[in-house]
Amino acid sequence: MSLAGKRILIAKPGLDGHDVGAKIIALALRDAGAEVIYTGLRKSPDHIARVAVEEDVDAVGLSILSGSHVDLVRETARCLREAKADDVKLFVGGTIPHEDNPALVEAGAAGIFNASQRIDEVLSEMARVLDAG
Amino acid sequence: MLSADERRDLAREISRLANASVAQMLANPPPPPARIARRIGFTGPPGVGKSTLVGTLVDRRAARGTHIAVLAIDPASPYSKGAILGDRIRMDRASDSPNVFMRSVSSRDAQDGMCNNVADILSTLEARGFDELVLETVGVGQAEHAVKALVDTVVLLMQPETGDAIQALKAGILEVADIIVVAKSDLPGAGRMQQQLASTVHFGAQRAAAWTTPVLCVSVETGAGLDELEQALADHAQWAAAHREPGEVRRSRARYRVQDLVTRQLEQALAALNPAECELPLAELYAATIEKLRPA
Repeated sequence: MSLAGKRILIAKPGLDGHDVGAKIIALALRDAGAEVIYTGLRKSPDHIARVAVEEDVDAVGLSILSGSHVDLVRETARCLREAKADDVKLFVGGTIPHEDNPALVEAGAAGIFNASQRIDEVLSEMARVLDAG
Repeated sequence: MLSADERRDLAREISRLANASVAQMLANPPPPPARIARRIGFTGPPGVGKSTLVGTLVDRRAARGTHIAVLAIDPASPYSKGAILGDRIRMDRASDSPNVFMRSVSSRDAQDGMCNNVADILSTLEARGFDELVLETVGVGQAEHAVKALVDTVVLLMQPETGDAIQALKAGILEVADIIVVAKSDLPGAGRMQQQLASTVHFGAQRAAAWTTPVLCVSVETGAGLDELEQALADHAQWAAAHREPGEVRRSRARYRVQDLVTRQLEQALAALNPAECELPLAELYAATIEKLRPA
């Protein structure tokens, strides 16, 4: 199980303006050998899906601290389907209460992470999901 | 304009080429494109503002109906081989245009700042019918020469107030540039930098029919110099059409294309030399290395 050579888009959808977490994950992924594309703040799900397609990524990681994670995951999954990229795995991380997990899975999340998790746990879970295909 | 399926296909084809080994390229090389696009390269030191300038220019040109593909190459970490490909952050508006296709690639092991099979990636983009191709690379010595072989117009970006005029002389990179841009020209020192660079590049460039490299102050922040840069790009295209021999352009691209493969093969050959071979006299060591150059 390895993230080496995987292409991963780290994206900030919605209106919250904090991307320290997104950048830390991006650096950790780079150090694990992945090629990471970062979108910058406040991107629409539509924009994120287009970048995911053009960059031919294996996964998109959404970083969301605004509370609207369920809607943003659902909308990003829909945009990915529209862009013919439903094979791209969708991960979400941020301030996410456990009770939202079922709704997030139903909305299309293949992995859900929160701030209390260790980075190596996050990376190995991402690698596991990507290897499972 | 590309459909969703075409965009997806093109993106996958670029991945296939970026990952293709020497043997795979030799077995299945993409055919030469039936049409050619205008190719513009942007190079310069990290942080000089290449992505910001490319994003702004591409946005303007795409808004006028030009179909543009952008290939942005970023360096890989020498430790993990991973990379942060961050050029898109500065090209947001441009990358939302339906007339634009944008792709970031890692330079991985390439020593010259390019990515593997870059010549074939560019001609694949060309074959999809774009009017212009934009190649963005970090300038590190050899990169400028590689860019020169692959594009029609090389734009070199320099920063005000960094002592770069002398650094540029040392590195010999000024000769490769068709247009020199003093970027972030709203910062102090831009005018002096422009004068220094202009007196350097124009010294001795008096041959008839030679292109006189313009040195332009450009600020994306204020918009100053953008029109002049677009004019210089148009002038250079006209000059190149009149003075460059298409056969020579094709040949220099063919040379770079094969150089990319041979360089990678050579690195593998050198790594495969065993301890006994390394002790051989020079001529025999050379012969052993050449022998290992043949792709498996």
